[in-house]
Amino acid sequence: MGIPRHGPWLKWLAGGVVAGMALLGVLAYAMTTTDSRPFCSTCHIMEEAAVTQKMGTHARLACNECHAPHNLLVKLPFKAQEGLRDFWGNITGKDVPHPVSLHTRDVVNANCKACHAQTNVNVASMDAKPYCVDCHRNVAHMRMRPISTRTVAYE
Amino acid sequence: MNKTVVSPLFAGAALLAVLALGGCEDVSTELKAPTYKTGIAQTETRISAFKAAFPQQHASYMKNDEDKVMTEYKGSVPYHKNDDVNPLPKGFKHAQPYLKNLWLGYPFMYEYNETRGHTHAVEDFVNIDRLNRFGADGKGKMPATCWNCKTPKMMTWVAQYGDAFWSKDVNEFRGKESIDARDETIGCANCHDPATMELRLYSEPLKDWLKRSGQDWNKLSRNEKRTLVCAQCHVEYYFTHQDNGPKLRPVFPWDNGKNPEDIYQYYKGHGAKGPDGKPGPFVDWVHAASKVGMIKMQHPDYETFQDGPHGAAGVSCADCHMQYVREDGKKISSHWMTSPMKDPEMRACRQCHADKTAEYLRSRVLYTQEKAYKQLIKAEELSVKAHEAVRLANAYDGPRPENYEALMTEAREMVRKGQLFWDYVSAENSMGFHNPVKTMNTLAVSLECSNRAVALATEATQFTIAPVMAKDIKEVVPPILEMSRKLQQDADFLQKNPWTKILPVLPKADQVWDGQNRLKSDAARP
Repeated sequence: MGIPRHGPWLKWLAGGVVAGMALLGVLAYAMTTTDSRPFCSTCHIMEEAAVTQKMGTHARLACNECHAPHNLLVKLPFKAQEGLRDFWGNITGKDVPHPVSLHTRDVVNANCKACHAQTNVNVASMDAKPYCVDCHRNVAHMRMRPISTRTVAYE
Repeated sequence: MNKTVVSPLFAGAALLAVLALGGCEDVSTELKAPTYKTGIAQTETRISAFKAAFPQQHASYMKNDEDKVMTEYKGSVPYHKNDDVNPLPKGFKHAQPYLKNLWLGYPFMYEYNETRGHTHAVEDFVNIDRLNRFGADGKGKMPATCWNCKTPKMMTWVAQYGDAFWSKDVNEFRGKESIDARDETIGCANCHDPATMELRLYSEPLKDWLKRSGQDWNKLSRNEKRTLVCAQCHVEYYFTHQDNGPKLRPVFPWDNGKNPEDIYQYYKGHGAKGPDGKPGPFVDWVHAASKVGMIKMQHPDYETFQDGPHGAAGVSCADCHMQYVREDGKKISSHWMTSPMKDPEMRACRQCHADKTAEYLRSRVLYTQEKAYKQLIKAEELSVKAHEAVRLANAYDGPRPENYEALMTEAREMVRKGQLFWDYVSAENSMGFHNPVKTMNTLAVSLECSNRAVALATEATQFTIAPVMAKDIKEVVPPILEMSRKLQQDADFLQKNPWTKILPVLPKADQVWDGQNRLKSDAARP
């Protein structure tokens, strides 16, 4: 007795694979979109960060190239947690935390190293200062520039 | 469904909606400050007229009423700036004890206080003893130009009287029928176009300066405007001598530059014209003890700041003094213009210096201020000594050296220059912080000039005053703690200090003005 070629289980399997791929596609698209500057800056409170990022050398990178871990297993819960915290902060009228949390600083710093490892391979550049932006200060959203070049009221 | 279920569902739906609707629109790097169509009249000068449309900025502005908090060197208690003897609110530990001596013969010897918020500007103006409140004719003996940086009503008055306004008597506009002290003090209309709320200048002397230096307000950046609205008033100025233009119109002496040496050189001209038709040196007053023609510096905050570490880097006054604050979820410019040191968190600074703690930032401000204050006190002491040396040399009747006149001319010039230099620092309101290196350099030059004046005057007296000059100046010329227009009517009081002795006794008179109220009946007017 052979396996029936047109049994209902095959339809289910094929349908399931297609549905799974579609779902994965949607999720992947949503993950990418929610990493990006247009999404992050939909909350006005993030406009200063978005504007200074767009004016800077990292303009073509997504926010979460720096602001979330690259490892997907760590990134998923990280984004969920940060997203909820920001959402809550926003609807309760809180300002962007100044300075940013130690946790975020560590994540960002790991991502500096992830992209710029080769530049630093022959120097002990992580020994003197805890963070790369301790020297590369304006990478941290051009914060040494006059206020009017970064932001306006009602953001 | 109960609330705990509905809220996250609603939140999720909102998030999706945001994602779908707004999540694909990128930000613009062209920052546009919001503008409005208020319907408020262009000529509006009352603060209250703006309250309904701008309640948050108005509430923030009203915080300027606070006048109890002091910082280490500054603050908002209007103590007498020469009084280091009495406790607050009359005196303060970091006062400058020689100010009355150094301004002998000038209205600043009567009263000069620490500043408070803009909301008190007119109130403090009508209570200051610098304006005469004892004249039977009710006159203040000062020009109406004194109103220039106290009220937006200037626009109304200048439109009404033109250049004739400046030389009217200050007290002509003092009464309640002329100005509402609370509602028409420095306010919205001094910096904002009432119709659009865009930044605008009301100031005649600053508009004059822009014209003289070929600048156009409409072409300046928002960043420059965030400093220039303050530079309408927080600057050194003088009143035009009638030989050189509209009598007593205010001018900012910046044509040679904004540093003390530039301003010193500027004032070699612009005074009364001589027989040759050329303007001589400008003189604010003749010092009562040394008889030197002096220059008075007034709050050169802008001049000091603009080439300092912050100013040269393009940081504006508003960046530190009007930081963005979030109130009810809305981000507005704080309109509480005061000492940034009052904030325990130093939030204004940490918009940029996010990696620094408030304690660290505070310690760096004090690092400069402490040194500036100490040298300022020394520069003032030596300046007193220079006046005393010239005073003694003026009176010297022994055998004079051949070059006596040349020595004395140079000595007087050095007294004038030395005082202009320390006053540039003293009158400035940051105790050095706005420009640490310029401050210390200016004080060093001041000390050098005053020292030179002492040496020249000593030489002119064949060194006979050297023993006096070697003494502690506080023994020779004690600081004048108290002096007012009322006290100057008391001949016995004036005998108590070697320098107040020099002053003429004023005729006995009762006070005619109390704030905005005229105490004597109109019948007493001539």
